[in-house]
Amino acid sequence: MRDEERGRWFVMPSLVLLSIVTIYPLIYVLYLSLQRRLLIFDVSRFIGIDNYLFLLKDDRFFNAFKNTLYFTIMSVTLELLLGLAIALLINRSFRMKGLIRAIVLIPWAIPTVVSAKMWEWIYNTDFGILNYLLGVKINWLGSPFWAINAAVFMDVWKTTPFVVILLTAGLQVIPKDLYQAARVDGAGRWDIFTRIVLPLLKPVILVVLIFRTLDAFRVFDAIYVLTGGGPANTTETLSIYAYKVLFQTLQFGYGSTLAVVVFLCTGGISIFYIRLLSRGVKL
Amino acid sequence: MKKTKKISTTAYPWYTDHYLFVVLGYSVLLLLLLPLLAGCVSKKEPSGDGMTTIVFKHGKIAGDPALFRKLIERFEARNQDIKVKDEALPASTDEQHQFYVINLEGKSSDFDVLSMDVIWVPEFARTGWLRDLSTLIPKDKRDEFFPGPMQAVTYKGSIYAIPWYIDAGLLYYRKDLLDKYGFSPPKTWQELVKTARSIMEKEPQVYGFIWQGKQYEGLVCNVLEYFWSNGGDVLKNGRVVINSPENIEALQFMVDLIRKYKVTPPLVVTAIEEPTRHIFGSGRALFMRNWPYAWNIFQREDSAVRGKIGVSRLPSFPGKSSASTLGGWQLGINRYSKNPKAAERFVKFLTSPESQKTLALTIGYKPTRKSLYRDADLIAQQPFIASLYDIFMTARPRPVTPYYMLITQVMQPEFSAALSGIKTPEDALKTAQIQIERILGAE
Repeated sequence: MRDEERGRWFVMPSLVLLSIVTIYPLIYVLYLSLQRRLLIFDVSRFIGIDNYLFLLKDDRFFNAFKNTLYFTIMSVTLELLLGLAIALLINRSFRMKGLIRAIVLIPWAIPTVVSAKMWEWIYNTDFGILNYLLGVKINWLGSPFWAINAAVFMDVWKTTPFVVILLTAGLQVIPKDLYQAARVDGAGRWDIFTRIVLPLLKPVILVVLIFRTLDAFRVFDAIYVLTGGGPANTTETLSIYAYKVLFQTLQFGYGSTLAVVVFLCTGGISIFYIRLLSRGVKL
Repeated sequence: MKKTKKISTTAYPWYTDHYLFVVLGYSVLLLLLLPLLAGCVSKKEPSGDGMTTIVFKHGKIAGDPALFRKLIERFEARNQDIKVKDEALPASTDEQHQFYVINLEGKSSDFDVLSMDVIWVPEFARTGWLRDLSTLIPKDKRDEFFPGPMQAVTYKGSIYAIPWYIDAGLLYYRKDLLDKYGFSPPKTWQELVKTARSIMEKEPQVYGFIWQGKQYEGLVCNVLEYFWSNGGDVLKNGRVVINSPENIEALQFMVDLIRKYKVTPPLVVTAIEEPTRHIFGSGRALFMRNWPYAWNIFQREDSAVRGKIGVSRLPSFPGKSSASTLGGWQLGINRYSKNPKAAERFVKFLTSPESQKTLALTIGYKPTRKSLYRDADLIAQQPFIASLYDIFMTARPRPVTPYYMLITQVMQPEFSAALSGIKTPEDALKTAQIQIERILGAE
């Protein structure tokens, strides 16, 4: 009991700080989302759930939602598969292992906006190195089909290293004797991978998924810099839409509603993964 | 929680027994909160020596910031009781807009003078964030400024900002290539297509005509120039007229530039100013629509097109008159400023003929005062700026309405959809018409 009491005193300062910087704004956003607040119209009145009802009729919202889902599913899946492959590769011992690992990290170390600008040039139809290497003249960021995939590809390039690092850490705690024992028992590579590596890596994979899914779902800066949501909103994600509504058009009420929806979605995703994780650990 | 119970106290390291750490934690918390509390209680320091400090927020100053600082020092020397702190905001206009919105909505008095993009003034005036500056320019002095910026800073008969420097869309062309094949700069869009097509046949490595087509504010600037030069518009006497035959024809023409005439490469639908400037600057385009800033870059020693280019007003549709989209920045005063009188003196100084001339000569900012374009020094040292007079005279502001930021958010994706072939111009403009009507009808 004494321990718990004392613990409470220890965490209190950070709880107070947290509630000031996160819980208060959160409640304020919820409150705003129930208002019709348009700065330029001098309008500020309580309208209940009208904003949420309008949301259901808002094509642009569904378009943004669809883009966000597509982006999240594609980028997280690719990052996980690619990250796992690279982690398995660099987990072996070879010469210059440290150097290779450091190089793998470079994309992750570049600030998002800088890498988005960089990719904007890479994708450039005329000067871009991508078209030069492929020997084609594809308008990557200009075609409705390619633009969103170009954004996915950039994100995969940028955040796979993050996945690699976490998975490598996970791989390293798997005891070596397990592999040896398995080999003695006559297990092949595939068996070792599916029966030992994957199950033991599961908690780390789930952590990776939580981080990556949440980040991908809230993606803003990367795509905003790369395409601005264009062409014709085919790459507009929920965060970009919320930003435009909030800060470019000053519709604080409806913008907050969008922000709340993003919050609810990410909250739902987190709960889903945490459930999976707690179940996974018990296994 | 359950797990921790099992661990006995002895398992904790030594420092957990020391309440010192609790004290430390709370002190840090207090320290963090102190400025907040202090901010609520105390007011700004009442500088005892009678000095007023005003803060000037602005975007990045082109060129050497020291030159700009010198101008401010000139003001301070003449106004011994005022000190000016100039603070630059992030380079992107969107971020600057966001900064002002957040701070002014929070009634911040941390800055006194602010520089605003031409499209923000009615919006900020409508929200009551700007001080009415009508007295700074008396009625009979208003025609000293170009008409476009003057229109853009006027809201309901009052003036809320003073035009500081001006920008407008221009047509850049390769003079050497036009001369070589015996063409003159096009007066109409159709002439431009013809010229571009015949020169492209002989010079296959150059693009015909490049402009800015990415989904962003610059796209609206481009499209409006086609609307206007075909007699169309977005708003007329408060009515939405975007879905007009003139506008459909104009937007269709832009699509045709890419698809039918093929004088514009598809890459423009992702291009903003700089990529087009690079392409044209490396000598790989015949015509380019861009702002005046590109000219000085093309005149540098290492430029591939130095001495080979010319500039003219944008073409128009036959029988109609050309129109450039107005850009540029205006100075306003924060409604919540504690030192409005000092701020007014500073705004007056920065927009005076003298300061505008200095800025034109040192940084290349284009003056908003007409008389400077007849100034002998300016004509001698910056002949290019002086030559833009006629274009600035007819430059048109984007729809002057507090709802512009809402309207542009409708136009950008619709124009982009038309250019990238997702919608026909008819459909895009029809949707835009309905949505803009809803925005204006909300009041």
